[in-house]
Amino acid sequence: MMNKSICIVFNKAPYGSQAGRELLDIALMAAAFDMPITALFVEQGVYQLLKGQEPDILDIKNHSATFKALPLYGIEDILVEEDALQKFNLNVQELVEIDGLKTISSSHAQSLLANSDFILTL
Amino acid sequence: MKSLYIINQPQKLNQALPFISEQDGILLIEDAVVVATYGSVQANHQTLYVLVEDLIARGLKDKVGVEQWNLVDYPQFVELTLQYDKSVSWL
Amino acid sequence: MATYSLLVTANPYSSQGQLRAIQFAKTLLEQGHELMRVFFYADGVLVASRLHAPPADEINLTKAWAKLAIEKDIELIACVTAANKRGIVNVAEAERNALTGNNLDPAFEISGLGQLTEAMLNSDRLITFG
Repeated sequence: MMNKSICIVFNKAPYGSQAGRELLDIALMAAAFDMPITALFVEQGVYQLLKGQEPDILDIKNHSATFKALPLYGIEDILVEEDALQKFNLNVQELVEIDGLKTISSSHAQSLLANSDFILTL
Repeated sequence: MKSLYIINQPQKLNQALPFISEQDGILLIEDAVVVATYGSVQANHQTLYVLVEDLIARGLKDKVGVEQWNLVDYPQFVELTLQYDKSVSWL
Repeated sequence: MATYSLLVTANPYSSQGQLRAIQFAKTLLEQGHELMRVFFYADGVLVASRLHAPPADEINLTKAWAKLAIEKDIELIACVTAANKRGIVNVAEAERNALTGNNLDPAFEISGLGQLTEAMLNSDRLITFG
């Protein structure tokens, strides 16, 4: 019962919506219940991880630092879609440093999604 | 595991397609139902469904390409969520 | 027969998601399935206010949920963080935040995100309505 897995898909850029922040809160709570969690960043969701964000200028709280803490909460599968990085002219060095962060192909993401018990986007 | 991808905005279909496996199903609802009325979708063997209530509401029921799309109502929508191992709302 | 939970994040009167969730919930219950919990998150929590006053010829979504909850004994839970932020408060949260009123509809409860995780662990299906 307790080993149902969840894949949380970040597919929107910050800060036009609070989807990233609200998904992050779900991830942290699910981690407290010991659910195996994958955080998957696809499409414009890769912008969630970009270094140097200063949303304070908009009076919005900066949640990007919390992504760095994911491994501390036991969330070790942090995966970024390669095609999205290429498409948006980004590279891994420009992303916040998270232990264990890996890039994956769309087809790998596809099989990962197929094998998760729950998938959430917001 | 087989997944049912639920799409509610037209532009989300193409965004989700790279992540949808061959054995999965795709269900269009809300504003996304318009997609079933024009052109064809570059689907990769997935089974395609469209919610008939959302078509009727928009006056689009007779415009659907029925060779490619299976029309489902709410009871069938619920049945689909059981027939597939999980449902994914690609928001 | 299967056990479902629903996650509802759709803004009640700006989009179709809440209506669709209500229709889906009714249909699954008619088919003999169980609905363990409906969890409201993000803008979805707005429907938990008892102060909505839509025109008489339009559906009152809060009342539609409440009717379902009472008739079928279903838990309607709004996330406390999302709700407080958006001005949806029960008596306890109003006191805790020194607010002058409260507006949670009695058919709804306020609780934490843990209730969503618990719903996932204990349901066969979770369907999101955004």
